[in-house]
Amino acid sequence: MSGFFQQLINGLSIGSVYALMAVGYSLVYSIMNFSNFAHGGVIMIGAYIGFFAMTAFEMPFAVAFCLAAFGTGLLAVVIERVAYSPLRKRNAPFLYFIISAMGVSIFLENIIIASPIGPTFRTYPRVFGTTPFIVAGVNIGRLDVMMFVISAVSLALLIFIIEKTRTGMGIRASAYNLRASALMGVNTDRIILIVFGLGGLLAGIAGILFGMKYTVYPQIGNITLKSFIAAVFGGLGSLPGAVIGSILLGIIETFTSGYLSSQFRDLIAFVLLIFILVIRPRGLMGKTTEDKA
Amino acid sequence: MKKRVVFLFVCVILTLGLTLAGCTPAPTDTAADTEPEVVKVGWIGSLTGDQAVWGTCELNTVKMLFDDINADGGLLGKQIEVIGYDTRGDATEAVNAVRRLTSQDKAVAVIGPNASGQAISISSVLEEMQVPDIATVATNPKVTIGEDGSIKPFNFRVCFIDPYQGAVAAGYAYDILGFRKAAVLYDVADDYSQGLTEFFEKYFIEKGGQIVAKEAFKFGDVDFRPQLSKIKDAGPEVIFMPYFFKEVALSSEQARQLGIDAVLMGGDGWPSEVLLEMAKDYVEGSYFVNHLDFDDPDVQDFKAAYTAKYNLPVELNGYLAYDAVQLLVHAIEKANSFDPVEIKDALETAQVKGITGQINISRETHNPEGKDAAIIKIVDGGYVFQQKYSAQ
Repeated sequence: MSGFFQQLINGLSIGSVYALMAVGYSLVYSIMNFSNFAHGGVIMIGAYIGFFAMTAFEMPFAVAFCLAAFGTGLLAVVIERVAYSPLRKRNAPFLYFIISAMGVSIFLENIIIASPIGPTFRTYPRVFGTTPFIVAGVNIGRLDVMMFVISAVSLALLIFIIEKTRTGMGIRASAYNLRASALMGVNTDRIILIVFGLGGLLAGIAGILFGMKYTVYPQIGNITLKSFIAAVFGGLGSLPGAVIGSILLGIIETFTSGYLSSQFRDLIAFVLLIFILVIRPRGLMGKTTEDKA
Repeated sequence: MKKRVVFLFVCVILTLGLTLAGCTPAPTDTAADTEPEVVKVGWIGSLTGDQAVWGTCELNTVKMLFDDINADGGLLGKQIEVIGYDTRGDATEAVNAVRRLTSQDKAVAVIGPNASGQAISISSVLEEMQVPDIATVATNPKVTIGEDGSIKPFNFRVCFIDPYQGAVAAGYAYDILGFRKAAVLYDVADDYSQGLTEFFEKYFIEKGGQIVAKEAFKFGDVDFRPQLSKIKDAGPEVIFMPYFFKEVALSSEQARQLGIDAVLMGGDGWPSEVLLEMAKDYVEGSYFVNHLDFDDPDVQDFKAAYTAKYNLPVELNGYLAYDAVQLLVHAIEKANSFDPVEIKDALETAQVKGITGQINISRETHNPEGKDAAIIKIVDGGYVFQQKYSAQ
């Protein structure tokens, strides 16, 4: 029985990594209706900012954490201004946004490879200790607990901002209909910047936590493919959907490798996802079925 | 009327085109008689991606050795130019790189790649262009032997092969360490990992041992806890981890955090300065099969020269790249020619004393036969040579 709970904890921990990444996707999607594939690159940069803050500059974790979050928040805003805003002004088709996003993602990965940082793996100093908590025969890593708490707090804050503040109302209105909101006096340009900034903050948090849990290297962004799938599964554009989709994907993956076959983990997990999407094309909690791109 | 003019015009152009096309090879033919002063040797491998640490070290080594040769007056009186292409760890890129090296750069031989997946895919281009290749650390049997069991005429290597490595690991675990229950975690998407797993399993069971769990992951995964939890429940004495250092670092850490205290064992994908930096005490007390002993007196000169030149530690690949260059130089001198086919013929019976051991290429397998493996243990965050071991 402890095997079952161990796998459940494993699944929750993997799922919460996906969740942090998936929310950033969903947030941007809810406003812009396109998948921001540059998100993975921004996460990677966040992981590097945190790494260098803690190693080269020997900052404490809390400072590095804030630096990574705000650094990538700023980066996401810059990316919006440079890569998306010109397209938006010209009313370009959404396909162009996606291509532009992929370009940014490839650019970010390669700029790290080409820079003196290079393609080698980096390991964060271990600040939280490595001895796991042992509860009833189940090992729970300290970092996992930490990640779970930080993810939960940042997601709660995000939902608070969106549900309870005036800016949040603007975001919700823009998500409902960007053009109509603009006509009603919402400064949509500002809203879009804020949304990218928030997405960037989350990316930085995801980056530093991911880096601490695993390792830092230029291809980290690739892992966001899974969280993108989780976001679609949960219903793109819906934040609770992204979280639930991610946690479910983590658990499904863990249980397929734990109880069925680790060789066929992805095969089984994704066939299941396709099956769910066929029955419910808008995802678990999605609002619309159009433009799932 | 107008149509006929156009038709004639097209005919003239086509004829001219044909004649010219027919003419062009002629100048290169004569150029081949008077060989150029600079001879090109190709290198391929990963300069970006997961294995960039190794690829960079290989290319540095190859360049350093040929720089020295050039400074001493060159090879057969010619200067050697090394052209290195990045395969990005991808088999398709490797094929493209070899094509570029052989057709565009006219390289007389190719060194690399280090990974089996890429080395296997390039043989058809090598055969088409009639240029030999010496792989460095590509240990899969299929690098030199085709699916149908026939030899690949232009593929050679300086390292021992997976069955041997898997057999060495299984033999050492069973006979010397006395383990009877083993688990395997391997990369299902990787030829190298699959090859080692297959032969470890085969030899361990033949000796009388038991494989209590066999779990897979896929390249790119960073979390192995679901598989490791399952392995933990099976209670093995030793876990065989035949994959590369990044995954080794992550999976060993996760294994220890799940409370697994079994001895970890691996192949030649382990040794890297990065592994010790990343995995610190998680791999303490683990064993792996290697191509050489890093403290062997034979390799110290090269180690010192490399570190002095590049200010970087030498990776395993550097030593094998060193021997690949030695083997190639030996073959060129023996053939007394830069003709790729003659180099290939000379390689088939080449015998050189490399820094990783005696390399006697077999005509039947194109592998160095009877090369000893070194068993290394990780003690106090360092690599400690245990013994030379050859599987029976």
